[in-house]
Amino acid sequence: MEILVCPMCKGDLELTVKVEAEGEIMEGTLVCKDCRERYPIEDGIPNMLPPDQRD
Amino acid sequence: MALSPDEIRSQVSASYGARVRPTLEASSDLIPLIDASASCCSAESSCCGSDAADVDITNIARLYADTDITDLPATVTDVAFGCGNPTAIAALQPGEVVLDLGSGGGIDCFLAAKMVGPDGRVYGVDMTPEMVALARKNAATVGATGVEFRLGEIEHLPIDSGSVDVIISNCVINLSPDKPQVFREAFRVLRPGGRLQVSDIVWTQPVPAGLEADMDQWAACIAGAIEERDYLAQIAAAGFTDVTSVTSEYSGARGLASADIVAFKP
Repeated sequence: MEILVCPMCKGDLELTVKVEAEGEIMEGTLVCKDCRERYPIEDGIPNMLPPDQRD
Repeated sequence: MALSPDEIRSQVSASYGARVRPTLEASSDLIPLIDASASCCSAESSCCGSDAADVDITNIARLYADTDITDLPATVTDVAFGCGNPTAIAALQPGEVVLDLGSGGGIDCFLAAKMVGPDGRVYGVDMTPEMVALARKNAATVGATGVEFRLGEIEHLPIDSGSVDVIISNCVINLSPDKPQVFREAFRVLRPGGRLQVSDIVWTQPVPAGLEADMDQWAACIAGAIEERDYLAQIAAAGFTDVTSVTSEYSGARGLASADIVAFKP
């Protein structure tokens, strides 16, 4: 999604795909190009919660 | 004792996650999309009428497939969910980019996607992992296209500035422990001329003392609700103009009302 940004600093994100299925990214990582925060993609769902709100 | 914002967030998320988990794990296709127990519309809460319960997703899927865009406002009204946001959805135009704050099981997003059509786009953000998983499952069942769901916080939207035409939200912002921040983020992601068109529960009288420390009352959309005039003032403070609100009081719940609010980013 082209309008997705880092929820903390609003920087652009870099996508790394680990597992793709039927054109959907199932596992991977989004890394902020500015603050370098990492956001995991698990079960097809990008976890864009602030880092301190993750389980 | 007052609860910290983080305590409120995590307990609200846990509460909604626990309520939606049995639905999510059910193998049947008969997923109640608007299960009363999976929203703030619990039986003891006055957030919405009793007719909001148990709208079956197979019925929604059928309606969805058959419904022409011109019929949709009526369809939205028929399903009667949450505080009710049919006017916001009815106002959507083809090609618009829509963001739903607190997208839950996804119904508003599916209906919005139908309204904005193939040239539009709908994004749903919800902070409860189980809700996002359910929304994705429902999207597949309904056959919705042009909709994406993201696990995220409405106080920290993972959405680029100036990228959204319309923000919708149905009975969710009251759950936030930092509403001014929600409105600032909404303002940021909207393009100039974009609108905030949300429904929420508000008090039409001063909030009764002591409520805010009761977590059950937070999750039931009562303890987190604020006075209507404060709600509108916070929206204006974020930079919005032409802020208007229409409230309807709940019978049997003196002082609580559902508000349909519209505001514009200049």
